[in-house]
Amino acid sequence: MSGLLNTIYTAFVRRNAVFLTTIFVGAFATEMVFDSGSNLIWDSINRGRQWKDIKHKYMSNGGGGDDEGDDDDDE
Amino acid sequence: MSLPSKATTSLLRHAGRQQLPALRSSAALVQKRNRADSPFDASTSHAEFTSPFHRGTRNEQDTTVIPNWGKYRSSSSETGNKLFQYFMVGSFGGLTALGAKNTVQDFLVNMSASADVLAQAKVEVDLSQIPEGKNVIIKWRGKPVFVRHRTADEIKEAEDEDWKKLRDPQPDEDRVKKPEWLVMLGVCTHLGCVPIGEAGDYGGWFCPCHGSHYDISGRVRKGPAPLNLEIPEYDFPEDGLMVIG
Repeated sequence: MSGLLNTIYTAFVRRNAVFLTTIFVGAFATEMVFDSGSNLIWDSINRGRQWKDIKHKYMSNGGGGDDEGDDDDDE
Repeated sequence: MSLPSKATTSLLRHAGRQQLPALRSSAALVQKRNRADSPFDASTSHAEFTSPFHRGTRNEQDTTVIPNWGKYRSSSSETGNKLFQYFMVGSFGGLTALGAKNTVQDFLVNMSASADVLAQAKVEVDLSQIPEGKNVIIKWRGKPVFVRHRTADEIKEAEDEDWKKLRDPQPDEDRVKKPEWLVMLGVCTHLGCVPIGEAGDYGGWFCPCHGSHYDISGRVRKGPAPLNLEIPEYDFPEDGLMVIG
């Protein structure tokens, strides 16, 4: 237990540069996890109601911008 | 150091130490009197303080005593506590960094153009609808844009012109991306009128307001306009399609 803690301490905290890098990388990872997680929750709550879920009903043949040319909405 | 001098110093030291209790008792006396003067002072009335810097029950000060902090010592290991502290510092620092980054990002995103503005900022033109030798005027960002499908003769005429002698010298290849397609902002560089196509002395455009003449490359040739007609940003993403903006 104490050996493991010591390893973590020397690996991440001992040198300030490493410690700061860990903090920033951790912040970045936290943001990504948080964003994609909350998006997943949102999508699962609103399943079947968003444009990307019903797009295939209205844009049958891929490509050919027939009626409304641009479809770059939601998110 | 001689023996008598040593004796005197020890005696002096002793005397110095002896003086302390006397001082202390007088101070206590003063305190006592104060207490008697104000019997309703609740803050000092029942206060009892045992200094940790005393050995045993004796009342004299002993500075060599180190108080026992055992009661306050952590029972877990030093590394674990240190790691916990650094973890808390690091994670709250990370959260702060996230907040700061998002604040800055929100301000920057706020400044950039919104989606509806961006959607209006581009215009698609179907080039197959424009026959050779014809002009088309398109509205783009509230201004007219001239698109001319130039014939081979017109291209040759525009390229053979001695452009170095013009008022705003510019070769034709700097003004077009594909020589058969001339795309220009239809705003006269003099005072902002819209020139008339296929008119004027040079086979290009003519501004009716003050009589500026532009040639088939949109360069000013005659009249008060100081500059050539402006070229907007445009691109050919695929054959027969042009995007302005």
